[in-house]
Amino acid sequence: MVKGHKISYSHKNYSILKGVDVSVEYGDMLVIVGPNGAGKSTLLNVLANEIAQNTEEIYFKLKRFREWDVLDLSKNKAKFSQHYNGDIPLPVQEVVLMGRYPYYNSIPGSADLSAAEEAMKEVGIWELKEREYNSLSGGEKQRVHLARVMAQLRNEVVHKLVLLDEPLNNLDVKHQYQVLELMAAFAKRGNTVVTVLHDLNLAARFATRVLMMKNGSVLAQGPPGEVLTPEILSEAYGFPCSIWMHPVHHHPVILFGT
Amino acid sequence: MKNKLPLYLLASFLVLLVLAVVSLQVGVYHFEEPSLLKIFGSLLSGDASVPATDTYIIGKIRLPRIVMAILVGSILAVSGTCLQGIFKNPLATPDLIGVTSGATLMAAVTIVLGESVRWVIPEALHFSMVSIGAFIGALGAISLVYTLASGNGKTNVVVMLLAGVATSSLGFALVGFMTYLAKDEQLRDLTFWSLGSLGAATWTKNAILAVVIVGTYSYLIFKGKALNAMMLGEKDAGHLGIRVERIKRLTVLLTALMVGAAVAFSGSIGFVGLIIPYILRLLFSSNYTVILPLSAVWGAILLLGADTFSRTIVAPAELPIGILTALLGAPVFIAILVRYKRTM
Repeated sequence: MVKGHKISYSHKNYSILKGVDVSVEYGDMLVIVGPNGAGKSTLLNVLANEIAQNTEEIYFKLKRFREWDVLDLSKNKAKFSQHYNGDIPLPVQEVVLMGRYPYYNSIPGSADLSAAEEAMKEVGIWELKEREYNSLSGGEKQRVHLARVMAQLRNEVVHKLVLLDEPLNNLDVKHQYQVLELMAAFAKRGNTVVTVLHDLNLAARFATRVLMMKNGSVLAQGPPGEVLTPEILSEAYGFPCSIWMHPVHHHPVILFGT
Repeated sequence: MKNKLPLYLLASFLVLLVLAVVSLQVGVYHFEEPSLLKIFGSLLSGDASVPATDTYIIGKIRLPRIVMAILVGSILAVSGTCLQGIFKNPLATPDLIGVTSGATLMAAVTIVLGESVRWVIPEALHFSMVSIGAFIGALGAISLVYTLASGNGKTNVVVMLLAGVATSSLGFALVGFMTYLAKDEQLRDLTFWSLGSLGAATWTKNAILAVVIVGTYSYLIFKGKALNAMMLGEKDAGHLGIRVERIKRLTVLLTALMVGAAVAFSGSIGFVGLIIPYILRLLFSSNYTVILPLSAVWGAILLLGADTFSRTIVAPAELPIGILTALLGAPVFIAILVRYKRTM
C-alpha cells in the first residue's frame, strides 16, 4: 500500500527524520507513537505527499506520488491535519461537503449529499449541520473535519489510505473510542489507516501495528504486544511504567509511574 | 442542502435588466419618441420616423455607457472576490492592496511618456497601449503584495494592507509627477483616470472588456470550490485534489488582467470589490461557489445604479462616480473592521 525506504527530511539544517523505513499493508491500522519532537507528524506529512523529501521515494500503491493524477489521488487517500484554520465562516454541512469536491463540478449530486450526510452521522455531528463552523467547540470542529475526510473516501475504490494527525485532540472519551472504532472498521474493509496518537493504551487497543519513534528514527515497529514493552517504553519516554494484560481484549495495558 | 444558486442568479439578472431599462430612460436628455422599443427598432432598421437625436443618444451615448457600467462593475466585484479568496481575507480588494494604484500609475506613465516611445511599438498596439500599461502595473502591484504578504499558506494582513499603502503612495507620487510633466490635453486624461468615470464609453472599449470577461470568467467563476477549500489551509486543499499553486498563479494573473482593463477604460473606481463581496457574505456566508457567480451580477448592479445616480442627481452636471462608490465603501470598510477585528 504505502512504502517508504530510508525517508530523511531536514529543515534548516536540522535533521527531523533520519532514514525511516515504513511499509503498511492493506487492512493495517498503523499507529505512530513517540515522545514530543520525535518526528511523528513530519513522517505522516511525508507519507501524505505534503513535503517533498529529497532522498528516497515513497510508493503509494506501487506508484510514486508524482506519477498519480491529482484528482485520482484524492479519491484514494485523504488526510486529517492537526491544525486547521480556526476561521471558516461556513455552515458545518458545507465544510463536510468539501470532502466531495473531487467528485463533482459545480453542483453536488445526490451521491455527494448522501456521502456527506452519512459521514456526519458516523461521527455524530448530524445535529450540527446547520450551525456555523466558527461557533463550534474545539472537539466539535475536530469531528467536522473527520466527517469531511470520511466523506472524501466514500467511493468505489477498493483500497484507500487515510492519514490522521492526532485526531483525538479535544475529544472526550466517548468520541475518542467512536473515532478509533470507525477507523478500525475502515481498515478492516481492506483499507489502510495511519495515525499519530499520544495515548499508548488506545494505540494498544486499536492498532494492528505500532511504530515507535524517537529523535527522527524508528525505535521499534510491529504488533502492539511486541512494541509496547517496558524496555522500549522506558527507552523512548524515560518514564517508568508497567505493562499488564487486558483481561477481556488481551492487549497490553500500560500503567505509568512507579 | 438544495442548490438555489440558479434561482438567485436568475433573480439577480432580472434586477440588473430592470435597472438597465430604467437607466436607459433617465438622464439629461428627454426622448421625443416615448417608446424605447421603437428607438431600438430604428437603431437596427434605420427607421426615419424616430428622431435622429433619440437614436444617437441611445446607441452612441447611453447604451454604451450602461454596458460599460455593467462590465466594469462586474469585473471589479469579481476581482475583489477572487483576491479575497486567495488572500483569505475580506479586506483584500484591488484598491486596498494597491492593484488599482499600480494600474493607474502605469496608465499615467503610458499616457504621458507613451508618445516618446510610440515609434518603437507596433502599430496594432497603439490603441491598447494604456490598457497594456495598466495591466503591467496591476500585475506588478499584485505580485509585489503577494510575495510580501503571503507565506506558508497564510496571509499577513498587516503587510498586505501596508504594501497596498506603499504602492498607493508610490502611485500618488508618480501620478503627481506625470501631472507636472503632462501637456494640457494629457492633463484632462490624467484627471479622468484618477477620479474614475464611465463617460468615455464606446463600443470598441466594451468589446475589449467583453473579451476580457469571457476569457477570465470562463476560468475564475468555476473556482468557487477551490477558494472554499483554501479556507482549510493550502495543504489540505491539495489533499482535496486542488492544484493550489496553479490556481493561485492563474488567479493573480487573471485578476491583474481584469483590473488593468477596468482601470484603462474607466479609471480607478474604488470599493466595488469591497462592498459587493461583503454584502453577499452577510447573505450567503462565505461560500465562494455562491458568492463568486453572484458577485459578477451584483457588481454590475451596484456600478450601474451608482452611475445612473451620479449622472442624474446633479443634472445637467455629473458627480464623479468614484465619490459615490467611496461614500458607500467607507462604511462597509468600517463594518468589516468591526466584524472581523478579533480574527485579523
